Amino acid sequence: MPPPAAVPPTPVPTAAPLPDVSELTVAPGPARSDGPDPDARAGSRAATEPITHLIPIVRRIVHARLGGDPLADDLVQETLTRVMTAIDRIDASMLEPYAISTARNVLANHWRGQDRERRNQHRALEIAIDGPSDSALLAGEDRSAMATALSKLSERDRALVLAHEVSGVDTATLAARDGSTPGAVAAQLSRARAKLRIEYLLAAEHVELPTPQCRAVLLALSAADRRRQRQLDAARHLLQCNVCAQLSTPLLARGKTSDDQITVGISVDADIVTARQAARELASRLSFSATALTTIATAVSEIARNIVRFAGQGEIVVELLRRPRAGVQIVARDAGPGIVDTQAALTEGYSTYHGLGLGLPGARRLMDEFQLVSEPGRGTTVTMTKWDSR
Amino acid sequence: MSSGPALVSILRQDSYLIASVHTALDDSEMIRLRNNLVEQIGRYRSNGVIIDVAALDVLDSFGAKTLATIAEMARLRGALTVIVGIQPDVAFAMVQLGMGTAGVPTALDLEEGLAYLNARVPRRPVRGPLGD
Ligand SMILES: [Zn+2]
Repeated sequence: MPPPAAVPPTPVPTAAPLPDVSELTVAPGPARSDGPDPDARAGSRAATEPITHLIPIVRRIVHARLGGDPLADDLVQETLTRVMTAIDRIDASMLEPYAISTARNVLANHWRGQDRERRNQHRALEIAIDGPSDSALLAGEDRSAMATALSKLSERDRALVLAHEVSGVDTATLAARDGSTPGAVAAQLSRARAKLRIEYLLAAEHVELPTPQCRAVLLALSAADRRRQRQLDAARHLLQCNVCAQLSTPLLARGKTSDDQITVGISVDADIVTARQAARELASRLSFSATALTTIATAVSEIARNIVRFAGQGEIVVELLRRPRAGVQIVARDAGPGIVDTQAALTEGYSTYHGLGLGLPGARRLMDEFQLVSEPGRGTTVTMTKWDSR
Repeated sequence: MSSGPALVSILRQDSYLIASVHTALDDSEMIRLRNNLVEQIGRYRSNGVIIDVAALDVLDSFGAKTLATIAEMARLRGALTVIVGIQPDVAFAMVQLGMGTAGVPTALDLEEGLAYLNARVPRRPVRGPLGD
């Protein structure tokens, strides 16, 4: 029986000055582009860098235009939050330009008192989460934008998206039908959706792209293809092209990058089951054995419980990795009290004595890679990976 | 049975209770299962308990601990518990996790679970709830 742990009240995320930043800066994601960073725990300062160095830039832009407006800090916060949402989809060299164009967009919207971006974000989210299958629920205008967008896809992409999203055919079946593999089908599906998102936004907003390069840049952003972003110098393009800068926000600031990723909010017991089932479902698209899938689900269950018990609130992001090897990565973030001695928390005896249960050391044993980054008073991020060895 | 809409069913067979888990359970549902079982052991004066977990998706540290607790509470009330149906992949993950059902007897399936109990606890005709 786990002793009821003394759980300090969880800070509820609000628009208060920068609480999200402190949480997100401990995330190990942004600093790396490839592979796990062996130094992530000790090097949490390095991981903090990408966002903290943006704060003065964003402040300067916002304050230069709003002066002492009491809303200025809110807009800085909103900008940083958007940048953080996009951080693992863009190349590191793009962070600054993206932050700048985002700050400008946020300001422009503020002045226009308009909600267009929010609307777009909502749309992009609908496409990403529900797929066009829910288009019956969309307003007529949206439905025709979706029809237009679908018509811009290649025959093959359109057939794939419709089969998967509308008819609900799973990737394994599609692969068998085409003599392909589920992984290849999922990758193609994800590229097709990246295109669809762009075409949808263009149709919905009645926007014409001003330069021949625009579409390629937007595609690299939508597909979260960092290498392609570098090749195209997408960073520079965003600073020079207003249209792409406008479109980049809804493209990047969505809750779900692609078919290969799912985010589960964690706050109550039932979320633990939701998270582990989502992880199993997503991982099953690779060629993991039933045993490996249960192992992954068990590890997710352990870390999700840690969030519920010790932080009260957080999220778990499950993502399929294709390169350098196939695998599934799980990132669990919370903004809870943090762990003072992470090394000790990973030691069996200590954990049990101190009410942490088997959660962290257990999950570590179940997975191939495991990193724990925690800042007392700020939050904890666990990143763990299971490689698909088949 | 107060275990909600068919997440778990608890059946009586003479002096045994047979709990079948039908789906993944979250922590509060595990606790409810524990409470229901312990309550019914007392009410029906059961001397044997079988918990069939074949439908559980995982047995993580909390699930395993709860099963062990149920067995211990049942023991204190004079009933022997056996857990049946742990799937091979679930068992593998439990071992890797470093979590067993330490000391709780297990059997492959319901049939073997019944055989296990029959060999150790005399199954007697049911007397019905106290105060009947
Ligand atoms: Zn452009």
